Amino acid sequence: MTADSGLPHRTWWTPYLFLAPGLAMVLLFSLWPFVNTVILSFTDARILRGGGFVGLDNYRRAFADPDFWVATGNSVLYLLVVVPCLVLLPLALAVLVQARIPGIGFFRSAFYTPVIASAVVVGLIWQWVLRSDGLVNTVFRRLHLVSEPVPFLTDSTMLLVSAMIVTVWKGLGYYMVFYLAALGNVPASLHEAAAIDGAGPVRRFFSITVPQVKPMMLLVGTFSAISALRVFTEIYILGGESGGPGGGARTLPFLIRQVGLGFSGETGYASAVSILLFLLTLVFSLLGRRLTKGDET
Amino acid sequence: MTRSNPIRTAVAALAAGTLMSTAACGLGGSGAGDAKEAERTGKVAGGITFRTLQLKPTFTGYVQAVIDAFEKKYPEVKVNWEDVPGDGYNEKLVADAQAGALPDVVNLSTDSFQLLGDRGLLADVAKLDGDTAGQYVPGAWEQFKLPGKGDSVYAYPWYVTPEILTYNRELFERSGLDPAVPPTSVEQFFDYAEQIAARSGGQYSAFMADPKGRLPGDWQKMGVPLLSPAKDRFTFDTDKAVEWVERMKDLYAKGAMPKESLLKSDDINQLYGGGKLVFGPGSPGFVKDIKRNAPQVYAKTQVAGAVTGRLGHIGIYAQSLGIRKDTEHPDAAAEFAKWVTNGPNQVEFSRRATIYPSNAQGLADPFFSDRGDGKDAETLARAVGADQLKSAALDANTPVQWTNQVGDAVVREVQKAIKGEQDARTAVKKAEEAANRLLADAARP
Repeated sequence: MTADSGLPHRTWWTPYLFLAPGLAMVLLFSLWPFVNTVILSFTDARILRGGGFVGLDNYRRAFADPDFWVATGNSVLYLLVVVPCLVLLPLALAVLVQARIPGIGFFRSAFYTPVIASAVVVGLIWQWVLRSDGLVNTVFRRLHLVSEPVPFLTDSTMLLVSAMIVTVWKGLGYYMVFYLAALGNVPASLHEAAAIDGAGPVRRFFSITVPQVKPMMLLVGTFSAISALRVFTEIYILGGESGGPGGGARTLPFLIRQVGLGFSGETGYASAVSILLFLLTLVFSLLGRRLTKGDET
Repeated sequence: MTRSNPIRTAVAALAAGTLMSTAACGLGGSGAGDAKEAERTGKVAGGITFRTLQLKPTFTGYVQAVIDAFEKKYPEVKVNWEDVPGDGYNEKLVADAQAGALPDVVNLSTDSFQLLGDRGLLADVAKLDGDTAGQYVPGAWEQFKLPGKGDSVYAYPWYVTPEILTYNRELFERSGLDPAVPPTSVEQFFDYAEQIAARSGGQYSAFMADPKGRLPGDWQKMGVPLLSPAKDRFTFDTDKAVEWVERMKDLYAKGAMPKESLLKSDDINQLYGGGKLVFGPGSPGFVKDIKRNAPQVYAKTQVAGAVTGRLGHIGIYAQSLGIRKDTEHPDAAAEFAKWVTNGPNQVEFSRRATIYPSNAQGLADPFFSDRGDGKDAETLARAVGADQLKSAALDANTPVQWTNQVGDAVVREVQKAIKGEQDARTAVKKAEEAANRLLADAARP
């Protein structure tokens, strides 16, 4: 047997060959559409009509468009409310269900159920819960807490709050699993040592658990920030295609869809708003990076 | 080092996430529509593609029989039928148009017809087949002309679904109204709704608020001029339009409409079928659905002619068959489209679905004038719908300038007023300004 009869010789292009399929997918379905969006944002393109170069017109229009500012405000508000909830509540939940007691598996599964439910089903359930003649309002009225139904779905602010509740409810179980994995890695000896030193459960939570799962909290924060800035489904299903009365609960992705799709869709303008959403996300990502700097070293 | 992994993953995920969210919006923006117009050769032959909108599997037998009969008549033609589901139908059309891959004969809705016709992607069927015009009911043929494009017609009219009025007889009586005297004007409709709200005790509502579904039809029926005579700007900012918004606001506050129906109208069947709504949707197809899903409410359902107000007639909304402008086989495509939309084939289709022929000979079939004993809602709906179609006219249609975006912009302002967040006059003024801005944008070369 000679060495030649084994695997063929590695040539310089072998690694590229392995990389090629993945690279082609990324180039074709992520990078090229992104570059295309940047180009389109400087044109007045519409559906089925190639546009001409209009410079920064689309961006100027966005900054002068009250709808854009409402949508930006809603997106940022969504992020500011939803992210802290999704970082802290699943951690609390994970600590609760971490205990090895009989029947805890049931609770873990129950908390995870909303994650696997389809967004449409979740939307329909919450609609039924929150409508003016829905479960919550009926209970409120029976208890004489309100005289008029609470406009959970027909008032822009309440609609946004309702959508946030749905996002948080759906995300609880998902991020709880992340935290369960992180909690499993916290050495039991640390807790034992602290307990011997007289630290109670609350003290141990803040002095041992939280520092140990901090990297995971940052990861969860980032993931939930992405989903918060991209929120669309919850508002669409709860508030209809106008995005609440007068479109007052529209977020940036909602606005992009509204101006960019359909037969009179303004592709150029929608692309410009997409780029602005991208920049907004970038700002939050840089902020996140700054926060995490100390932990990376 | 291991501790930093989730952080790095997080930063990478954020970058990838934002990239994906932005990239998803990158729609192709290339121009389309400079295809060379096909001309007839006199030889009906060749392979053509026929695309329909969600007819399989319910109507597979019918469509296949129509195709088979055509292929028997013209043995040199081979029809390749493709059926596309309703979800994403228009998006697929746009993608195919951009790729230059439109089918030879394609089922178009009003908005897809306007887009493809406007972009010069459809053949002028008046030129291909001018003699056919007389076969269709008045208005149906004219519906497929486009503003600024002369007498050219860009599609063959296919089936029609007229507007009718459906209501729950029992709830009507309980509200002190006479079921034999349905409302005929928008103002009267609102008066009825007010009486219903006053007597319902919150048990049921009169109608769905759904401003997107009510406009611009209600304004046209009230005599509000939507467009200037030159059709180059909207002119609906009138006292009548303001009055409409004020009445809607008042009725909404009084509980004449389900609160959520201001934003969504997708549960109308459920509400009407559950006996919680007096006025049902205005389509004959709905009557059939109610018969199947809520027989008890069906028994109480009364059918009448649509509210037409000052117009006195309904609009005409025909589905259509467009021919690809640069089709390789214009003779086969035109003959096939004419075949599908001829009298006998349309009548046969109407017997299987709750639709009406746009073909005059087809509509004259006794099937459409039979009122039975005058008590069965489905039979009555068919007769009432067909009767109204005979006088339907285009001035009751939503004008092409009232695009989906214009509708959305108007509805947003109106919703705020109905909710009491701004006054009616400001809402109508702002709606007209927004609509005119969109119209000017769309008119830019």
